[in-house]
Amino acid sequence: VEHARNERMGPAALASLAAALLAALAGCSGGPAEQAPMARVGVLVPSSERPLWLALADSFETAHPGVRIDVVEGPQATDLRENLYTASLLAKDPSFDLVYMDVTWTSKFAAAGFLEPLDSWFPEEERSRFLPEALAAGRVGGRLYRIPVRTDVGLLYFREDWLRAAGRAPPETFRDLLSTAEALQDPPMRWGFVWQGKQYEGLVCDFLEVLHGSGGYWIDPATGEVGLDRPESIAALAFLSGCVRRAHVTPPGVTTYQEEESRRLFQDGRAVFLRNWPYVWRLAQSEDSPIRGRIGAGPMVHRRGFPPAATLGGWGLGVSRYSRNPEGAVAFIRFVASMAGQRILCLSSGYAPSRAEAYRDSDFLAQNPFLEEIARVHRFAVPRPRIARYALASDLLQRHLSAALAGTETPATALRRAARETRALLRASGFLPEAGR
Amino acid sequence: VTARGLWRERSLLLLPAGTLLTVAVLVPVLRVLGLSLSFVMLRGGIETRWAGLAQFVRLWQDSRFLTALGNTIVFTTASVLLEMVLGVAFALVLHRVFRGRGPARAVVMLPWALPTAVMALAWAWIFNDSFGVANDLLERAGLIRQPLAWLGGPASAMASLVIADVWKTAPFVMLIALAGLQTIPTQVLEAARGVVLPLLAPALLVALAFRAIQAYGAFDLIYVMTGGGPGGSTETISLYAFSNYFRYLDFGYGSAIAVMGAILLGLLALAGSTLARLRRGA
Repeated sequence: VEHARNERMGPAALASLAAALLAALAGCSGGPAEQAPMARVGVLVPSSERPLWLALADSFETAHPGVRIDVVEGPQATDLRENLYTASLLAKDPSFDLVYMDVTWTSKFAAAGFLEPLDSWFPEEERSRFLPEALAAGRVGGRLYRIPVRTDVGLLYFREDWLRAAGRAPPETFRDLLSTAEALQDPPMRWGFVWQGKQYEGLVCDFLEVLHGSGGYWIDPATGEVGLDRPESIAALAFLSGCVRRAHVTPPGVTTYQEEESRRLFQDGRAVFLRNWPYVWRLAQSEDSPIRGRIGAGPMVHRRGFPPAATLGGWGLGVSRYSRNPEGAVAFIRFVASMAGQRILCLSSGYAPSRAEAYRDSDFLAQNPFLEEIARVHRFAVPRPRIARYALASDLLQRHLSAALAGTETPATALRRAARETRALLRASGFLPEAGR
Repeated sequence: VTARGLWRERSLLLLPAGTLLTVAVLVPVLRVLGLSLSFVMLRGGIETRWAGLAQFVRLWQDSRFLTALGNTIVFTTASVLLEMVLGVAFALVLHRVFRGRGPARAVVMLPWALPTAVMALAWAWIFNDSFGVANDLLERAGLIRQPLAWLGGPASAMASLVIADVWKTAPFVMLIALAGLQTIPTQVLEAARGVVLPLLAPALLVALAFRAIQAYGAFDLIYVMTGGGPGGSTETISLYAFSNYFRYLDFGYGSAIAVMGAILLGLLALAGSTLARLRRGA
């Protein structure tokens, strides 16, 4: 899940996309070139990351003079880029050799046959250098399709200053959070707890943390069993909807919030607790932030006696089946995932690296002391189900979660319906257990 | 010129238009029809298998499709009705001669000229619970005490969508009605105000048909403002078809939704035109 998904494709993005398509066409017809053959490797990236990818491309091209990286600027919104990749791959179009993808796209693209397996390119020795959870997210049906280059985990941010003044410790359990939020809030100017409650992927991410923190599960990766209608799962949703409808620590408008709406409230000093991704830390601690130096972050709250959970997000690279230059594409992946590449991608941006070594590196820790906290929370990472029809499973869960938050379904009804529909979906599409990591 | 020569000349003249229609309309329509009769599976590649009418049977057992169909009908009826009333009212006012009529017409037309995605984003912020202008104005006017989450409840989200759509497209109805008014001689208008609506009816029917078809297929406004939420309460059939195509890669079912949507719209149009003919005949 990416923040700032509301921006649209700008004219510059359209122009560069058109340029890429033209370049591809020129490639088909042989082109006018009699120059030395340069192998082109194309990749579509969000507009905000373009400078980082241009820097990566520059650095890579210096070491590999035969390969030219074509960084195509795409829209900022994750789902629009997913649509562009999907349309291009469906048309067997070779203009994007690399697929820069969210964790949740991998299974679908792999099942559709859009991706090249990477097992033979990346031997065990190389694979062991990544955070294990981040690497595992790229495995589908026992094969590796995606190399992680940056990782994300869900976090609970809190106002350290307010908590200290009230003599309260950062909350660990659901009950801690509710009591502190109730004590410190003053709605509607100051809310207790804000998160992502709109009907979209972010809602599933928030729910997944509460679900696993309650001892529940969505789809068992080994057996394909659906756990949504178990009592602990229903209790988990009852906690989330109770924040809005019973305890009133969450604004009713949460049913329209994505990452940015909730971050704005928190950064404006209008919320005690915020569930969000690591990117918030950098913004909340920036020069002009009114809450600079007043916040802390840790793992999400959970039921007493259970470990916390953090939804695993993040971005990785896969190789398109229609690439004309898989060798060049793999070489570039290897570079982005190396320490040198990770420095370019993550140091200035504040993104969390995917390479384990970076979390012990003095440069990284000096630039971003928050990495230690992320490494700690990473131990509690939970992946989303890796099934071909993940988007459908997520959508039908979103609908029922959203209905429970809006009050049109009770938590029990919502999750019983979601469980029934998920079972039907798995029966119809055929569930394949995940073969080892 | 012989009959045969004439025939040849005519077919030659029809060729460009015919080719264009075949490539741009006929082929895609046939392709969608074909897909709606197949299963599409993801098994390490995209596999297509004959399904007969199975996808259409699945449609009528799918509560999500039925909800989406209901939402589409509510959205279309509410927004088109309001647009017709407001559009005609604006047209009647702006047809009169008054100082500043030109600029007034331009201002009223402005919403129609804006790209839907952009204005949908603006409306989403207008209806935002904490930062939105709608709540601010209502609070200042003393009409509400607590900020409302406009897009957060099923009924208010649908109402917000209708408001945004009416704001955007009432000018279109106005434009057509204004054009219709200009074909009616001034003397007739001055002599009998009561006959204006019947004389305007042909123009209004065109506007109605255009707007009904567009509202029925509404996508960008809803996609940007609510994404079909909360709880699927604003998902329309075009949003559902889109999800099946692009998000689930289920082209068979997505096509079946599109085909069924078109069939239902066709039936609606048939019923409407039959009704109109019967009334004229009576």
